[in-house]
Amino acid sequence: MRVWRAELSKLVSLPSVWVAVAVGLLIPSIIAGITASAARTAIARGREAAAGIDTGYQELAFGVIGVIILGVVAISSEYFTESEDSGGGRQITTTLTAVPSRLRLLLAKASAVAAASAALSVGAAIVTMTVVQSMLGEYAPALSGQDIPRLLGVVCYWALTALLSFGITVLVRHGILPLAVLIANTSVVSVTYLLTRLTPLANYLPDMAGIRMFIRDLQDSSADIAPLVGGLVMAAWTAALLAVAAFVFCRRDA
Amino acid sequence: MPPSAARTSPARRFGRRREAAHALAAELSKLRSQPAVRLTLIGTWCVHLLLSFAFTQAEAQSPGGPQSWLDIGLASFPYAQAGFIVLGVLAACSEYNGGQLRTTLLAMPRRGLQFMAAQLALALWAVPAALIVIASGIGLAAVLADASSPLDAGRLAAALAGATGALALTTLLGAAVGALLRQTLSAAAVMLGLYFVAGPILRGRIALAKYLPDAAGIAMWQPQSAQAPHTLAPAQGALCLILWTLAALILAAIVYRRRDI
Repeated sequence: MRVWRAELSKLVSLPSVWVAVAVGLLIPSIIAGITASAARTAIARGREAAAGIDTGYQELAFGVIGVIILGVVAISSEYFTESEDSGGGRQITTTLTAVPSRLRLLLAKASAVAAASAALSVGAAIVTMTVVQSMLGEYAPALSGQDIPRLLGVVCYWALTALLSFGITVLVRHGILPLAVLIANTSVVSVTYLLTRLTPLANYLPDMAGIRMFIRDLQDSSADIAPLVGGLVMAAWTAALLAVAAFVFCRRDA
Repeated sequence: MPPSAARTSPARRFGRRREAAHALAAELSKLRSQPAVRLTLIGTWCVHLLLSFAFTQAEAQSPGGPQSWLDIGLASFPYAQAGFIVLGVLAACSEYNGGQLRTTLLAMPRRGLQFMAAQLALALWAVPAALIVIASGIGLAAVLADASSPLDAGRLAAALAGATGALALTTLLGAAVGALLRQTLSAAAVMLGLYFVAGPILRGRIALAKYLPDAAGIAMWQPQSAQAPHTLAPAQGALCLILWTLAALILAAIVYRRRDI
């Protein structure tokens, strides 16, 4: 618990983490605002009957870029080499001096990242849904009991994505590769989506499976996966990646 | 030779030119010696070929009839941009790792000239690399897909030039943002967020988004189609992206000349 608190305090003290928080809150809410105002005009002019079932959720899927940054910098900051003036050291040596058990350290770090990402996703969901409700007014899809599992799905999706980016960064020890790959794959037409056109098996890749936890109207989907199954598939990917990362992290020279 | 002769203008101009040539040679050798630059380029190339292969296979199975192999070969262009963004950011930010910049400026105190030499060296790397990546992607699609469809040489040359130019300009834009922010990860996050999240999302919602660098880069090689009437023409896209890159480079150069290191 003390290690966890230490890791959380380290996260809070990183400037990049605050950038990640700002990105995670602003991107989905601003895009939701733009989409909602366009949808409102369309409905008012009679071009569309009602706002889509995924209004707000679609935008929250893009906000995941915030927790990608968070998961990456949580571990890449440990491996960042300081300048010659400050001795050319790396944070990781100090960290491992304080907490020699590598497994404990990694568990504490991963759970701190997951907790911070979950908290961020709750904040982002509240802001985004408030924006959607206030912009759409009477046209807004009513939030009901059915939205609770979907919003829980958003929280799980964000936390698992953060852990995925965290796991990849542990393996490669530098932030640029996971950042480039994962952000490029958050795009409107993602690589994994294109792969689903090649083989239906690609629907079981972590992001394609995980997104089914809260997106109901997936465009020309080539497989039918229940939300719970999707979440479990993504969790299995994350667990496998973290297991490999933990094995490598415990064996490797720091 | 008396000292006053050295100050005459032809000799001085010759000295300046030699100084610039040396600065350029130094920047080229710096880029060549960085493993990260090499790894980024090789990685981008491999991923691009893999994606081109996947697109060709996917297109062969699509029911709507196959597109031309030129379009298939260029379909993975947006993802190649990620690699070239990383290239530009890494090249610019490597100066700020462990005080390399102090060594650089000790050898070449004229910051404006050093900055221009660094960008020119990066462009000299980026253009051939982009050409190889793009041409090999198109070539792979041509070999794998049904290459019997008629070849419009003019269209091929225009697409090749447009896509290469867009990638090279994107690299320089990445370098400018990298030089401004000085931190690899922040600069990469800003550029990638703009190209892959903000740009594509705004494109469908705001008309002005077609002037953003990512849309302008795609407009440089994609022919205007009936489905998307609100895109720029290739020349407009090129002009737009050049303006973005120049503006970012000028801003970065001004900040770079004034800033303490």
